[in-house]
Amino acid sequence: MENIVNDFTINVATANGTGSQSANLILLQSLFDMGIPVSGKNLFPSNISGLPTWYIIRLSEHGYQAPGNRTDIQVLVNPATWEEDLAALEPGTVVVWNENSKLEMNREDVVSYPIPMTKIARSINPKLGKLITNIVYVGALAEILGIKQSALESAIKTQFKGKDSAIELNTNAIELGREHFRENLTKKDPYVVKEREIEEKQFFIEGNEAVALGCLFGGAQLLSWYPITPSSSLAEAMIAWIPKIRTNDEGEANCAVIQAEDELAAAGMVLGAGWAGGRGMTATSGPGISLMQEFIGLAYFAEIPSVFWDVCRVGPSTGLPTRTQQSDITLLYEGSHGDTQHIVLFPGTVEECFEFGWRAFDITERFQTPVFGMSDLDLGMNRWACSGFKYPKEVMDRGKVIRDKDIFDAFEEFGRYLDVDGDGIPYRTLPGSGMAPILYRGTGHNPMGVYSEKPHDYLQLMKRLREKIDSSRDVIPAPILREESECEIGIIYLGSMENTIQEIDDLLEATGLKVSQCRLRALPAHSEIEKFIERHETTIVLEINRDGQLYGILRKEIPIDLVPKLRSVAYSDGMPPRGKIYADLILETLQDVEK
Amino acid sequence: MSEKRERTVKLNVINEPKDSYSGGKSSLCPGCGHDQISSVIISAAWENGVEPHKIAKMSGIGCSSKTPAYYLGQSHGFNTVHGRMPSVTTGAYAVNKDLLYIGVSGDGDSASIGIGQLIHAIRRNMDMVYIVENNGVYGLTKGQYSATADIGSKKKKGAINETQPIDLCALAINLGCTFVARSFSGSKKQLKALLKAAMSHKGFALIDVISPCVTFNNNDESMKSYGYVKDNEVTLHMTDYIPHFNPISEVEVPEGHFKDITLHDGSTIRLETISEEHDPTNAMQALGALHDAETNAKHVTGLLYFDNTKASLVEDLGLVDLPLIDVADNDLRPSKEMLEKINSAFLN
Repeated sequence: MENIVNDFTINVATANGTGSQSANLILLQSLFDMGIPVSGKNLFPSNISGLPTWYIIRLSEHGYQAPGNRTDIQVLVNPATWEEDLAALEPGTVVVWNENSKLEMNREDVVSYPIPMTKIARSINPKLGKLITNIVYVGALAEILGIKQSALESAIKTQFKGKDSAIELNTNAIELGREHFRENLTKKDPYVVKEREIEEKQFFIEGNEAVALGCLFGGAQLLSWYPITPSSSLAEAMIAWIPKIRTNDEGEANCAVIQAEDELAAAGMVLGAGWAGGRGMTATSGPGISLMQEFIGLAYFAEIPSVFWDVCRVGPSTGLPTRTQQSDITLLYEGSHGDTQHIVLFPGTVEECFEFGWRAFDITERFQTPVFGMSDLDLGMNRWACSGFKYPKEVMDRGKVIRDKDIFDAFEEFGRYLDVDGDGIPYRTLPGSGMAPILYRGTGHNPMGVYSEKPHDYLQLMKRLREKIDSSRDVIPAPILREESECEIGIIYLGSMENTIQEIDDLLEATGLKVSQCRLRALPAHSEIEKFIERHETTIVLEINRDGQLYGILRKEIPIDLVPKLRSVAYSDGMPPRGKIYADLILETLQDVEK
Repeated sequence: MSEKRERTVKLNVINEPKDSYSGGKSSLCPGCGHDQISSVIISAAWENGVEPHKIAKMSGIGCSSKTPAYYLGQSHGFNTVHGRMPSVTTGAYAVNKDLLYIGVSGDGDSASIGIGQLIHAIRRNMDMVYIVENNGVYGLTKGQYSATADIGSKKKKGAINETQPIDLCALAINLGCTFVARSFSGSKKQLKALLKAAMSHKGFALIDVISPCVTFNNNDESMKSYGYVKDNEVTLHMTDYIPHFNPISEVEVPEGHFKDITLHDGSTIRLETISEEHDPTNAMQALGALHDAETNAKHVTGLLYFDNTKASLVEDLGLVDLPLIDVADNDLRPSKEMLEKINSAFLN
């Protein structure tokens, strides 16, 4: 039997609230520390304790980060999903199962490793048996796969920083798990791990924490938020970092945090901060964005800088609150009633989460319009390898805000919405400055900011707003192109799909199909997007939702003769994108084109 | 000529004429109670000597919320969305605590669509003056009952209101609001004293002002009409305001009982007892007065409740002394060394 090295998928089935998350993170971290390209996906329920949870760990020599197409090693701990999990396995799968669960192991076509997890756990500490059970399988897996003990021990130390008794308990459980396998079972499977030399040191971080740090380096002055999965950890990361990086020696912060009574109030506070001249932001998810619609329209119409981070989950309605989707592209881009259009940023990596975190403030103040960052549960709540964050090269762009009386006096005529420079972006003065005070409003207004229902005023205002947003398209982050020469097929995708695109590309190439890639990183679409479509016979718009939201937007915005070149491949079942599903759908769609 | 004019223009303590506090022409119905309140806002701000540009005038949506266009033309303002003025004010306050925030709202704005935001602004003891121009009807949509319409009251068109009203003052007292007053747009002297005191208060100051709607709710059967309120107003006390820049020793002391309450900026509100003494630091007494008034179909006015012991929002936020909008960009963005430290801490 030939060894399969560093290239397989482990699926761990446990119950929520049993400490399985720390066990899985220890497993993930120790593989990562051995230099093995690895990714972890936490499929958790909307529940605190008791419902089924799966954790998928993918080891991939190619660096693939999506869950694999099949499970190679199944860890069975949760009796609730036991039968279902077992039935789904392909012949030859390795099954590491809890011998004490009183459930049957009725498959003879798999490689079976029974481990008395509960018994071992109770032998260490009867009271904490449930929690330790999970760490026992980490020990068994370590023995089966050859995970270095030193890597495990350092991962345990990181996980339970400073809690000596927990460190001892977990180290002990791992050793007993190892020992049981060594003394009672024989390895009958081909899966092994092998340490790799680490070329570039990296660390693991969740997208939400990366956005949080980015926002704090962007000079956020107000975070106003309402708890919602999967964005709460973004706000909580900001709260955790403010005392470390935005607080003086006296313990006084220069970023305010207010937990609002609902998402409407959160959005209102963001607008209040922007109106007063500060950098305000909120973090939410789709249902929150739905509730914020009225304020989003006000921010657009009254031209108030404001930043909204949307960590998408599965819609519509409450949907699948703990699953992932690119659900809100249309909602963000065309948010609120009436004719609107908004700037939306789509980070695809944790490095970009950080960058767009600070950049969003510069863009919102420059264009005096709401700016959205769209991430999703997959990018936001899973851990991704990061090479380190880069410090902003540019100084902050505070936009056309007049703080100096001399500059103000140089204006012949000052109107809050007067297009002095012909770029659609007016100048503003701040409350408290005494310069050109006006009553901001969500009602129609003329260039002087005075209430108006006159057709000409309305038309000019709406025209200018459109031009203003249009003018942002080549200033906001440009797409990232990976083009093969003479390639007929192009793929446009965005956001967290970045982590699956290479696998999709390789799967397509294995069938003889070469494609070019274009990762859109912001809306309105950069002018390069149109050129990319022009260069290719057919362009697939690939996204993680049902309706092809980005496809719909691009169809409206590209010249009509290019529209027939576009095809939509949109799919979402709530799971993180798996390469094979999308590759197959792309091939199917292209076959239709040929017909 | 010019000398003579200078002598005739009266200036306030910061040498501003009253004109510096005026606004645009009102487009409300002639005789609207709201216009009377606007003129009191102008007088109160002028007499208190607040710098006009250091005021922020905030509102929601409705007849009342249009009024910021009619006063304080030298102040920035924000006519926000329906019922959501408290949150916008809170966000502005978080980044610039140095402005005097005067919010104007109506009974539709505050007692229905925006009641949640009102409650939470009270809960945070958000530092602002919050005026409710309360007429019991939705004016801009042409006269539907609001949630403050009294039981048994009848507007110009339609049936008698049978639904229990929400008493915003009772609600605020129950929530621990730190300054709760009720007044009447026709009682200008009382309203002005309360408003000036509210401006000197650090924390959430609610003034619920009965402000008759002359178009839809000023008929004899209405309990929020000019005639009804004039006949059925129960005044708790005579109110007088003594600003901090006017030494209290020089103020003439009225005969009889009175209670002086010192406000955060050193000003005083003097409450002269009319019949029974009202202790505004006693929530039970305040609620009792409201309950009695409701039972007898009366409107009780005056400073109902006051508490100067609670921290306001700014103390809870734990921020630097400088208003955040004045903090330099360099201080808002942590250093490059800090980011390098973070990167290397993650790596090790």
